[in-house]
Amino acid sequence: MIPASVQILHWSHYVAACLFALGLFGFLIRKNAIVVLMCIELMLNAVNLILVEVSMRSGHPEGLIFVIFIITVAAAEAAVGLGIILNLYRAKGTVNIDAFRTLQG
Amino acid sequence: MREVFFMIYSVFTVLAALGVVVSRHAIFSAFSLVLSFFGLATLYLLWGTSFISMLQILIYTGAVVVLFVFVVMLLDLKKEETLDSAKTGPLVMAGLSVWFFSLLILRALNRATYFKSTNVEAASDMKSISVLLFSKYLWGFEILSVFLLALIVSACVLARAEHMERKADQ
Repeated sequence: MIPASVQILHWSHYVAACLFALGLFGFLIRKNAIVVLMCIELMLNAVNLILVEVSMRSGHPEGLIFVIFIITVAAAEAAVGLGIILNLYRAKGTVNIDAFRTLQG
Repeated sequence: MREVFFMIYSVFTVLAALGVVVSRHAIFSAFSLVLSFFGLATLYLLWGTSFISMLQILIYTGAVVVLFVFVVMLLDLKKEETLDSAKTGPLVMAGLSVWFFSLLILRALNRATYFKSTNVEAASDMKSISVLLFSKYLWGFEILSVFLLALIVSACVLARAEHMERKADQ
């Protein structure tokens, strides 16, 4: 028998879907490359929330392992992405993603 | 009590995420991102995964958002684009695609049989996580460490590329 206090937590995949949708929306419409990276982080966090929910509901700790992996890869992605944005800013003087149409720099 | 906390913090998290998307300046987006990450850490705490919650606060708000804030401070962003400057066509298309996609996710999640399991156990204690991490997922863990080493090298190369080129020119 599940206590009622646990039941409400089962709604957290709706929260995760909202977060993912917001992240995807921002990823599609924002022009600032830094904010686009932040929106990617939001989507990764939504996936983490779903993994935590599935892991805790099924009783397997495997989802939490994947959360640890995802957090590491997300931190790495932010570091490299921001390095690339810094170089793009040095090359073009802007972080507007519409300015980066050509690959020749 | 837990229901109230869950509702408050889920609304808080989603509102903060909305703030990331609609903020006019990147620095406000970064601070909204901090709030959103703290809300998520609280949701993890409510699920009983205190280890993941601590990781969330340490790595995301402690490292990733600091990186974002540093880059926003480094770059001179004067003429900042706003959400209003986006054309209505792309805006509508983005909204529609996001709507369809989130419907798809929710449908898939609600139909997943794995999700219907109601077996709530203490899967989150440090012992079970670390035993699994150092037995079944040992190779993934080791590859992750090599990956982090490659990350350090690549981040240094990316950050110093311009500087070295200038030195070579002189």
